[in-house]
Amino acid sequence: MKHVHSKERIKKMCDLLGEDFDSPKCQAMAEQVNACPTCKVYFDTVKKTVLLCKEIDCDKDLPSDVNNRLMKLLDL
Amino acid sequence: MDETILVKKAKKGDKAALSQLVNVYSGKIYNLALRILRNKEDAEDILQETFLTVVEKLHTFDGRSGFFTWIYRIATNASLMKLRRKKLVFQDIGDDTEYADSIENRVFVDWTQDPSINIYDQEVKKKIDEAVNKLSDIYRSVFVLRDIEGLSIKETSAILNITEENVKIRLRRARQFLRDILSEYFEERVVDK
Repeated sequence: MKHVHSKERIKKMCDLLGEDFDSPKCQAMAEQVNACPTCKVYFDTVKKTVLLCKEIDCDKDLPSDVNNRLMKLLDL
Repeated sequence: MDETILVKKAKKGDKAALSQLVNVYSGKIYNLALRILRNKEDAEDILQETFLTVVEKLHTFDGRSGFFTWIYRIATNASLMKLRRKKLVFQDIGDDTEYADSIENRVFVDWTQDPSINIYDQEVKKKIDEAVNKLSDIYRSVFVLRDIEGLSIKETSAILNITEENVKIRLRRARQFLRDILSEYFEERVVDK
């Protein structure tokens, strides 16, 4: 029975991986995820992966030479 | 000035209004292209191509979607076209029907609390870049728009012209794919310690 529950939890967790992590659906799932060690590690590593990707791709300033060439091209 | 008014003026040939629109969006478009293509020269090409298209097609913009959605769609499509032209070999993500089952039988190492895994570590940075570069165009576009740009499911769906359900499916697969690739490396780091 425990086996089935674990499988169901994992399936539900995976279904939610396309949602916002802070959406009510995901928040409601958090309790269930915490009750399943495999789910918790998996879920946490997905969240951390996204966070690292986001940090690495933070906003870069538009280089002034790039901006100058654009304005010249557009005759502005 | 209100963006709708700026767009109306720019459509009538007002250069000052166009210039303001360029100033508002040039940084955003450059960053979007950089995130999809991961190359500065390519990002500049897309920036120029996007605004040349805007100038050429602005008269066709009917306001049904917002200007933001319209220009993001132009830039995203141009970036994806360029990505496809590069003929890179992407890693196949495949069908995920059995993915959930496979999780149950795997052992995961929790690397999330390791302080050495951060973006200031050049090797970590390189690995993340390589992982994103393995994402094919259809997954990369959703991942960049949703998780990096922070756009909503609705906005992403409108820009890519796909259903909201498809946005969720692609995002889930992209996240799982990146997690698996990066975890392979991060788990090794943690275990080696």
